[in-house]
Amino acid sequence: MRSLKKVKKQGTFEFELDLAPLLAVMVKLVPVLLISSAFVQMSIIETELPQPIKEALQDQTITTHIKIIASNKTGLNIQIEKGGKKEILPVQLKEQKFDFEKLQQSLVTAKKNNPEVWRLELEPESDVSYQNLIKIMDEARKSKDLQITFPMMDKKTNKETQTNYMFPDVVFSNINEG
Amino acid sequence: MSRRRLQKYEAVNSSFGLNITSMTDMFTILLVFLLQTYSVSEVQINPEKGLKLPASQSTVEAVKGLKISISQDSLIVEGQVIASLKNQHFQAQDLEKNDSSVIIPLMKQLTTLTANNTADKNNDKAAPQKVLLQADVNTSYEDIKKILYTSSLAGLSEIKLVTLVGN
Repeated sequence: MRSLKKVKKQGTFEFELDLAPLLAVMVKLVPVLLISSAFVQMSIIETELPQPIKEALQDQTITTHIKIIASNKTGLNIQIEKGGKKEILPVQLKEQKFDFEKLQQSLVTAKKNNPEVWRLELEPESDVSYQNLIKIMDEARKSKDLQITFPMMDKKTNKETQTNYMFPDVVFSNINEG
Repeated sequence: MSRRRLQKYEAVNSSFGLNITSMTDMFTILLVFLLQTYSVSEVQINPEKGLKLPASQSTVEAVKGLKISISQDSLIVEGQVIASLKNQHFQAQDLEKNDSSVIIPLMKQLTTLTANNTADKNNDKAAPQKVLLQADVNTSYEDIKKILYTSSLAGLSEIKLVTLVGN
C-alpha cells in the first residue's frame, strides 16, 4: 500500500515530444507547395454535359431558333423563331445596365415553351463588354432555381428525365458578319 | 574542482532547448491552407499583368490549348506581345484593309503555329488545336469578335473562354 501511494504521487510526470523532425518535414513541404500552388482558380466555358443532353444537341431536326440580341442602348431581346413565326421577349435595361435577373426569368419561360431547344444564338452589339457576355452565358446555361427543371427524353432508355440545364450551347451568331 | 572553476565549466557547456511548438502550430496551419489551395489541374494558366478576367459559374477545368490574351493595351499569344491596342481597340495598321475583322499579326502567328503543327503531326510536341482566350472584363465584343474571326480563319475554331471561378 505504501508502495502504491508512492507510485500515485510520482505518477504526474512530464515529457517533451520531439517536434524537430516534424518541423523539418514541414519546412521542406511548405516551399514546395508554395511554388506549385495556384492561388487563383481558373475555369473555361465549355459544354461539358450529361450524355442525353449531348445527344439532344446533335439533333438536327429542331427548327426552333432562340436568339439573344444584346445592346447597351436597348437591352436584351430574346427572339424565338418557331414555324416561321417570330416572338420577341424584351428585357429592358435596369439603371442603364442589363437586367440579368429578368433575363433568367425570360429564358426560363422560353425554355418551358421550347424544351427541345438546347442551343442559343448570341448576337451582341460591338460595344457590349466581355464581362456582360460571360454573364449572359451564365444566365442561359442553367436555371438558378433548383426547383425549376425541364423535361427531356433520354433516347437510350426512352424515359423522361428532368434537368436544370436550359441553353448550355451558346453560339456567337454574328462572328462571320465581320 | 573548485566552485569557481565548476561554474565556468557549466557556462561554457550549457545547452538550451528551443521551444518549437508554436512554430510547428504555424506550419501546420500553413500546410493545411496550402494543401487546400493546391491545384491538380493539368494546365496552369497565369493571367497576363493588368488583365482582369471575368468570373463565371462554370467549373469546367482548363484544357491544353493555344493561349491568346487580350488586355487593355496589348494582344498576347503564348506570352509574346504581337500587337498593341489604342484606347482598348486594335490599331488600323494591324487590321487587314479589305477585311477589317482580320488581325494581321494574329493571323501570321496562328498560321505559323498551325503550319508547325501540321509538320509535327506525329510529334508529341505538336501545337494544340484549341484556343484558350483570356480577355479583360472591359474588352468590347468588337475586339473579341475580331480574335474569334481571325482564329477561325486560321483553322482554330474550337475556342474556350477562360474565366475565374466564382460569382
